[in-house]
Amino acid sequence: MLLTPDFDTRPVISFQHVHKTYPTGTEALRDINLEVPEGDFLFLVGPSGAGKSTLVRLLIREEKPTKGKIFVDGVELGRMKRRKLPYYRRKVGLVFQDFKLLPNLTVYENVAFALRVLGEPDSRIQSRVAEALDTVGLSAKDHTYPSNLSGGEQQRVAIARALVHAPRFIIADEPTGNLDPATAWEIMQLFLRINARGATVVMATHNREIVDLLRRRVVAIDAGQVARDDRSGRYHDDFAKSQVRA
Amino acid sequence: MILRNLKFALNSAWQSFWRNLAVSLAAVVSITLILVLAGVNLLVGHALSQVLDGFRAKVSEISINVSDDTPLQNVYDFQQQLAADPRVSNVKFITKDEALARFKSDPQNSVLAQQIEGNPLDAKLEVRVANLGDVAAIDTLGRRWSGVDPTDPTNYQGDFVNRMLQLSSWLSLAGVGLLLILLVVSVVIVMNTIRTAVYHRRKEIEVMKLVGATEWFVRGPFVIEGIMTGLIAASIALGLLVVAYPPAVDRFKSDIGFIPLSYDPAFISSLASDLLLAGALLGALGSYIGVRRYVRI
Repeated sequence: MLLTPDFDTRPVISFQHVHKTYPTGTEALRDINLEVPEGDFLFLVGPSGAGKSTLVRLLIREEKPTKGKIFVDGVELGRMKRRKLPYYRRKVGLVFQDFKLLPNLTVYENVAFALRVLGEPDSRIQSRVAEALDTVGLSAKDHTYPSNLSGGEQQRVAIARALVHAPRFIIADEPTGNLDPATAWEIMQLFLRINARGATVVMATHNREIVDLLRRRVVAIDAGQVARDDRSGRYHDDFAKSQVRA
Repeated sequence: MILRNLKFALNSAWQSFWRNLAVSLAAVVSITLILVLAGVNLLVGHALSQVLDGFRAKVSEISINVSDDTPLQNVYDFQQQLAADPRVSNVKFITKDEALARFKSDPQNSVLAQQIEGNPLDAKLEVRVANLGDVAAIDTLGRRWSGVDPTDPTNYQGDFVNRMLQLSSWLSLAGVGLLLILLVVSVVIVMNTIRTAVYHRRKEIEVMKLVGATEWFVRGPFVIEGIMTGLIAASIALGLLVVAYPPAVDRFKSDIGFIPLSYDPAFISSLASDLLLAGALLGALGSYIGVRRYVRI
């Protein structure tokens, strides 16, 4: 608990002594304790293989913890029934490094897809997709196919899809990983705006520049453990850096 | 919402069928072949049962020959006793004169009939037995009767009846076995075909799952696609069988005339419903299993 900053609001995401060991024997996470209050913007940083992606996978319930408990919005993910999982995912907006767009669907259809899955009526889908595309500034390209878009534009489509159903959480895994610095900044502005509207954002990233400039909460994962949790942190903490140099 | 989901499932099944046309056609062809085999099996089974029914009708009727010196009252008594027996469905008394008239009326006997002097034929009781298995018991009853012609008591051929019974049970068992094998083979084929289709669309399925689609929402289009594939294949198979059935029967009849096989149009409608149902079920089952691995979250 020492590492967890003192927040006033009730946590909506809570990791309690979470361990994750894969069937191959790889110990990906060890005794993770983490609390994320509603409306927080949190960067997960750390070297490749440190366990960031495992943490994200646990959060979207692609994996279950080997030990410990994860609560999201009062529900324990490890105990959630399989048939309840889709309804949990609907509360979450997901953004990935590789965008995960469907190449045979247009921009509009890709974003609408997240609502079709929920069985929303066409009229509602139309207005909400228009709104989401407006938010990410792609209204003019709604009939374009992903292959005709730049990387930044594709990620905007993915973000539009992630926010079109107005999720309470946005979980992003290296969303700027494939983008040049200028485009990465544009994408980050979008995430900040979504966060300002009230959505909790958890973002795993390698982008040191962005983390250092935004000075948001930073949780550093190293060798499967929480190495640092700063309320307004930097990518590297100065103490660790000096140790590396020594 | 259910209707909207159904519309989505139908649309995407239709799109997927055409988008992966090569795979879809491969599935249609495989299932068609299997359903044709199954249909042929059913038709042959039906023809056999037609033939067996013919034989059965013949062997389930036995004649008990009446000795010439038996008083008529005795014959009537025995006829009544037989008629009262629950195993017997019908008894008919044929007098010596009727037997002769019948013999003469058969054109095959025309030469022989001219040479006959007097009436050498026995009067007889023609007994129709309800159940083929009871023929032997009725035969025994007839042989024990005091009025029976001791030199030629009945026309019962025990062995033949038993063999017929055995043959028909073996044949129906073989038919069921063959159908089971075909069933398993076709489920495996559909499963693999759908699995190929699913593999092409695994990214789409992944995205569906990530945005919160339920398992049935993901699975629905594939199962519908499987049913579509099965129904198309069943229609083609049915078309082929309907076209080939009458000439095959004709050919068979001209080659082996003594077997009472005939074209039975009524059977086509039952064959149609069987094949369409089988096609739809095979398609649905194959898809359900094929898509399972990718849909499980």
